[in-house]
Amino acid sequence: MTYLETIHTAADQVRARIGQRQPKVGIVLGSGLGKLADLIQDPIVIPYKDISGFPVSTAIGHKGNFIVGTLGGKCVIAMQGRIHCYEGYDMSLVTLPIRVMQVIGIQYLFVSNAAGGTNLSYHVGDLMIIRDHINLIPNPLIGPNLEEFGPRFPDMTRPYDPSLIRLAEQLAAEEGIPVQKGVYVATTGPCYETPAEYRYFRAIGADAVGMSTTPEVIVARHSSLPVFGMSVITDVAHATDDEDYVTDGEAIVKAADAAADRMCLLFKRLIEKL
Amino acid sequence: MNTQLETIHNIAACLREKTAGRQPLVGIVLGSGLGRLADAIQDPLVIPYHSLPGFPVSTATGHKGNYIVGKLGGKCVIAMQGRIHYYEGYGMDKVVLPIRVMMALGIRTLMVSNAAGGTNLGYHVGDLMIIKDHINFLPNPLIGPNWDEVGPRFPDMTRPYDPGLIKLALGIAAEMGVSLHQGVYVGGTGPSYETPAEYKFYRLIGGDAIGMSTIPEVIVARHAGIPVFGMSVITNEAHDDYAEDYVNDGEDVVAAADVAAGRMTRLFETMIERMTL
Repeated sequence: MTYLETIHTAADQVRARIGQRQPKVGIVLGSGLGKLADLIQDPIVIPYKDISGFPVSTAIGHKGNFIVGTLGGKCVIAMQGRIHCYEGYDMSLVTLPIRVMQVIGIQYLFVSNAAGGTNLSYHVGDLMIIRDHINLIPNPLIGPNLEEFGPRFPDMTRPYDPSLIRLAEQLAAEEGIPVQKGVYVATTGPCYETPAEYRYFRAIGADAVGMSTTPEVIVARHSSLPVFGMSVITDVAHATDDEDYVTDGEAIVKAADAAADRMCLLFKRLIEKL
Repeated sequence: MNTQLETIHNIAACLREKTAGRQPLVGIVLGSGLGRLADAIQDPLVIPYHSLPGFPVSTATGHKGNYIVGKLGGKCVIAMQGRIHYYEGYGMDKVVLPIRVMMALGIRTLMVSNAAGGTNLGYHVGDLMIIKDHINFLPNPLIGPNWDEVGPRFPDMTRPYDPGLIKLALGIAAEMGVSLHQGVYVGGTGPSYETPAEYKFYRLIGGDAIGMSTIPEVIVARHAGIPVFGMSVITNEAHDDYAEDYVNDGEDVVAAADVAAGRMTRLFETMIERMTL
């Protein structure tokens, strides 16, 4: 089966499960941010393992389901668990769920992740609107171009939709939720950054670092889909090479959990206003 | 002899047969939209890549897929009208295969060209840049067992672009009244263009122009000790101001490259004329 056939087969299987529902917004839930899924009303849960060609995510804090239901009064399709490059999957599999949501007909993509703050003024639990990114993960569009989705050389001048950013800032102000706005740098992981790497990322203009998201955004922008992105800062730069500093996956899941409520509220309000 | 090297020698033998004893001294790689240099080649013999068994076929916009053997600047040259890009999904061994074939054929100098985005804020669409150095963000084409017949395990990259050829180009450009930048080329994989943050990143680390090719070719040429001359045509400009009305597409790149290609062709031709090979 070609990649294009895999995409369409998977989309058909999802469509068969959701009947007449037409999701308008695709949402990718990052590490520990799965609780947004609990806010989705009247949910239909479609496990990835029921969809042909789908790999099963193995990351901590990640389940593997599509959830179709209503959020902010609109029909949404959420990915509870994404596919990461560090799990060993090819970039075509990492971005397969995004392609499937595109075929299903989403008009917006919302992405979220847990990230380390490279900006020294960021703190654990901060929310950051992703204004731009630096991609250090293999580009998911390498290979023959899928003409059906977009051009050979897609523009990346505005990877994150300026009007959605403005709307999010306005809603955050209304809700009294403080937000940062910054540049997300994506690397493969899975090891966390060394202090020298944190300094490097800061020096090249990054405010937060993580192991996902940019491949999904590149694929969405290939088809000119407007994207909104948000990072939850779950770890902060430790440039002093402190001898007692410890970083681990469990702590990150907890920190993400605490900030998740605010992010959920913001996503819900944004979707309401679309 | 390893099997890949064998494939390369077989393709070179096939080419030699088709070119009936012509001995190209200079290999030229024509970048996106720069194919018109091929029109300046006299008495040309066009050899489509698909007529060569084992040769990968290029699929990029603005790229044809031919070797052209003929005379330029009074010397026998072999030009690649269309290169193989990593973003097309080929392995690095395929990306550099055409260069290795030209080396097997006996070229003494390699001239590479490309269309690139200017990360240097002083660069404008249509400018020409002599590549004085590069920063490689593509996979290294020499990863794997070393081909000891070709070059050393750890090739030096102190002078990736030949200082003598750069001087020659500057002298000729001055005579012709053509202004040239000298800058550092960053090679990324593409195929998506750079985000504003990525443009800024490349500028911060010392890049003047960014593109999706060239460096793998230069690395394999330098592995074999072949002198290289490189030139970028600036076909779009850095945009880190998040301008809402900015538009960027592949067709524009091809059009801008076309305008500058004429000047680059005259420069390459005169350089070849004056090379002692």
